[in-house]
Amino acid sequence: MGKVMLEVKNLKTKYVTRQREDVFAVDGVSLKIEEGKSLGVAGESGCGKSTLALSLMGYYFPPLHYISGDIIVDGNNISGLKPDDVRKKILGTEIAYIPQAAMNALNPTQKIIRFIEDVIHVHDPKATKKDIYDLAKERFAILGLPEEVLQKHAVELSGGMKQRTVIAISTILSPKVLIADEPSSALDVTSQKMVIKMMRDLMEKGFIRSMIFITHELPLLYNVTDDIMVMYAGQIVERGTAKEMVFDPLHPYTKGLMGSIIVPEEGVRENKLVAIPGTPPNLKHPPKGCRFADRCKYATPTCMAMEVPALEVPSKESDRDREYRCLMSVRKIREVYENE
Amino acid sequence: MKNTLRQVFHSPKFVIGFVIFAGLLLTTIIYPLIVTTDPLEMVGNGNFFKPGTYVSVKDAVEGSRYTLNIDAKASSIGSKISAEDKEAMKEWLTKFGGVAEADIDLEDVEGLIGLWEANYSEGADQPGLTASKKKYYVRLNNNIDGILSDNDVIIARENPETGELEESASIGSKEYVNTKDVANRRTFILGTDNFGRDVLTELVDATKTSLRVGLIAGMIATLIGLFLGLISGYVGGVVDDIIMFVTNMFTVIPSFVLLILISYSVGQNARGVNLVGIIIGITSWTWTTRSVRSQVISLRNRDHVNLSKLSGHSMMRIVLTDILPYLASYVVMAFILQISSGILAEAQLSMLGLGPSSSTTATLGLMMNWATAYAAPLNGSWWAYFPVVITIALIAFSLNLMNTGLDQVFNPQLRD
Amino acid sequence: MKYLKGFKKYYGQKIIWYLITLLFAIVLNFVLPRLMPGDPVASIAAGSVSGMTDATAIQKVLNDYAEKFGVNEPMIVQFGIWAKNAIRGDFGVSFGQYPRTVADIIASSVGWTLALQLPAIIVGWILGNLLGAVAAYIKGAFDKVILPVFLFVSNFPAFGMAIILLTVFGINLKWFPTSGGYGFDLIPNASWEFVRSVISHYQLPFWSIVLITIGGQAIGMRSMAIYELNADYVKYSRFLGIKDRKIVGYVFRNAMLPQITGLAMSLGTMMGGALVAEIIFSYPGIGSTLMTAVRGQDYPLISACTLIITVMVLLANLFVELIYGVIDPRVKAAQQD
Repeated sequence: MGKVMLEVKNLKTKYVTRQREDVFAVDGVSLKIEEGKSLGVAGESGCGKSTLALSLMGYYFPPLHYISGDIIVDGNNISGLKPDDVRKKILGTEIAYIPQAAMNALNPTQKIIRFIEDVIHVHDPKATKKDIYDLAKERFAILGLPEEVLQKHAVELSGGMKQRTVIAISTILSPKVLIADEPSSALDVTSQKMVIKMMRDLMEKGFIRSMIFITHELPLLYNVTDDIMVMYAGQIVERGTAKEMVFDPLHPYTKGLMGSIIVPEEGVRENKLVAIPGTPPNLKHPPKGCRFADRCKYATPTCMAMEVPALEVPSKESDRDREYRCLMSVRKIREVYENE
Repeated sequence: MKNTLRQVFHSPKFVIGFVIFAGLLLTTIIYPLIVTTDPLEMVGNGNFFKPGTYVSVKDAVEGSRYTLNIDAKASSIGSKISAEDKEAMKEWLTKFGGVAEADIDLEDVEGLIGLWEANYSEGADQPGLTASKKKYYVRLNNNIDGILSDNDVIIARENPETGELEESASIGSKEYVNTKDVANRRTFILGTDNFGRDVLTELVDATKTSLRVGLIAGMIATLIGLFLGLISGYVGGVVDDIIMFVTNMFTVIPSFVLLILISYSVGQNARGVNLVGIIIGITSWTWTTRSVRSQVISLRNRDHVNLSKLSGHSMMRIVLTDILPYLASYVVMAFILQISSGILAEAQLSMLGLGPSSSTTATLGLMMNWATAYAAPLNGSWWAYFPVVITIALIAFSLNLMNTGLDQVFNPQLRD
Repeated sequence: MKYLKGFKKYYGQKIIWYLITLLFAIVLNFVLPRLMPGDPVASIAAGSVSGMTDATAIQKVLNDYAEKFGVNEPMIVQFGIWAKNAIRGDFGVSFGQYPRTVADIIASSVGWTLALQLPAIIVGWILGNLLGAVAAYIKGAFDKVILPVFLFVSNFPAFGMAIILLTVFGINLKWFPTSGGYGFDLIPNASWEFVRSVISHYQLPFWSIVLITIGGQAIGMRSMAIYELNADYVKYSRFLGIKDRKIVGYVFRNAMLPQITGLAMSLGTMMGGALVAEIIFSYPGIGSTLMTAVRGQDYPLISACTLIITVMVLLANLFVELIYGVIDPRVKAAQQD
């Protein structure tokens, strides 16, 4: 087992709406990533995966608020730190973030290199412009980005170029954990591929030491990450290796999610394309029992009444346990699925 | 539609603006029903009467009189001696009257007059005092004597036969008249203007007229802007280029200048209220054109419009059913702003002397024009212009608030 | 270097466009009064001299007018004559202030207007933007108290603010003189006394324009800044650990840029308002001159005033647009397409 880069224990955060209502978007999430590994987070929109991405950085500002839980980066618990310490010591160097909409993530009126200077000066106020330029130039070259980009403003770049520039800037300080929130979803196929390749390069060249990749496209994760985690209504409903999750899902929601998307992979193809009926619960008032019970065709009255704990079962694929949040046993689940 | 309206009326900004505006509008409608006098009637003979209730002096003298035991002397003395005179009295008393400064209390007017009466003497030795200053003190002394005496005022009439004055009545200082007995009485809450017209009544009338100017100007500007914007945005191509070229030109050529030129050219006599509204309207459409155009361009390629095009609907029908409804909120907002800027434009034109011809109507701008032309600020007649400025500001404020409220409802990212 | 070429093109196009607009404005200035029924220009010329008693003066004005404006020629010839004279700065003799020439009157008032309005609008713009930015950032009490006040103040017409300041500070408190550009007992010269007098006469007109400008700008800046504060780059910069103060810097710069275009768009309206405010203080600028001209039915003077106002507004607009092209890279990017 490799060194644990990021460990999250029972993290709970909420955001407050304009009407001052609490939305419990991350409700008791635990996860662990080892060095050199990547973890995918999948789920429908509104399941809390973007909020999870923001929450993991330990840097909160309205409307997002921390409730409880621990975030441990490379053995260092950051959830107790003061925001200013998180800003100076954690962001960028320990944990870095790639936002959902890279189109607007760069200040349109600032030169890219000026922004890189600002980022580096947070952690190293003495760095000279020349050093920064050299570092940026080198990093851009390795990642296959033209040097001229440094002297341009964001408005002068194409969408794909902007996204790749954002990735290069986010990782310029070689963070231990990279959290990427749908980095490729708004792009055309070619740019998507370039982005994915870039993420792999970053990992291979050691510029990042672990990665969390958030997306609503499960098949994409199968190609990119080692493990996959499925989120539903603020909680993790299932976690396992990419292969297990795609070909042998346990939780009815994962199963449904697999059935509701078109996956050009062998074996998955035969699955019928069916949408999961119903809508996720309102996270302002989360239900008491299983959060998926409303939409689950196997649900029993017990599911509605009692809170469902996450169960760990041995994995066939890996030495790490896989985890799922359902009252049915693995045997029961397999039986039910086979009879369909 | 119903839902949108409900949303709009939940915006506090819109509601405040709406209430103020509706209040002003209702006042202009209801007030004339209660006060039916001609707003431009010249009530006073002379200019800038202070706000207050005026009674006929003749009626007051001839009405039945009552003798009341009110200390008329004390209440009137205080107001009849100015602060400067009091200071001067103090100075004289300390210098030449031998009174200690500590004994003099300027607040206690009766005490001061008592000291004065006891110590002042015209013939006293007043070293260092100029002759004019000496004379001033003599005059002051006479005034004080006059205030203190409560001799009756004699009213005399001229005998038409002999031409001699004959005493007909005398009025003692303790005689009063019940104001309810005075037949000719008029209250000017905001005084009168330079022509002796009741400012309040005139103001209400002027507000109504100015609102009309604003409405006409707003309607014309919005219609022109909507028409040009629709054509420019929907047709595109050369038509768009031409319209935008002209629109951009009229955006930088100050509309203020065009207003002056046109208003001056039509001549003083032809300039009625409606015409001024029209002139303002035809010089202020550029902003609406631009915003309608950009909206139409973003709508032009929406799916429902394309569907309509594919179904072979006529351009007229597409514009009317698929584009206009989506523009409604923008057009309403533009219209509201145009009303407010139209009212302001009228006021500025009138200040320059290019407003509606002034003998038959009053507008807010004309009232300002008269007030400044007759130097109201310099002679302290605040009531002739201050209410006008506040009314203009309130109209603009309420309309802008409504506009901001609408903007926040229709463009949610502006909410804070 | 690619930029430079783009810029040259940008500037060239802008300047040409403004020249065309100016030409168009000049034509309007000439044609509008003549398009009206009964050619008021000619009848005004006849009417305005009726008040004069000196027969030779009347004849001189009419002759001058007929010659300068070519009253009896066809309109296109009239325009030629008029334009030729206008380019030489010859706008004829004033009807109302005979025998002063129009050019002379304009020359003596344009300086006052420029010296008043230019600094006032710039100061108002800067203060307004600062206040709006602070209001957007601090929010809370500051935003809740200051903003509605400015919202209300910004709705005062410039002349309304002028008359209020005049009443309060000029007449009641007697802090500043109430009319004119300098003491009426002084003759313009380079003495300290004169400068002091000019400065104290300057205060009320200046601050009334500044206050009006602040209100509108503060509101615009506040909503721009709020809009920018919610932009994605703000969130992203925060998560890279950049200090809030630095991010606020980005935001204000970006919010400020549209405010510059906003200034250009509203310059004409602002100057119009400020010109009318001049009248309240009898300030010896174009505004007061214009009013005198209107009252005296002094057509040549009106025409010259409107022309000089147009030229000032166009120049200011051109200046703002050129500056904007340099400081906003978004314009630069657009040039490369």
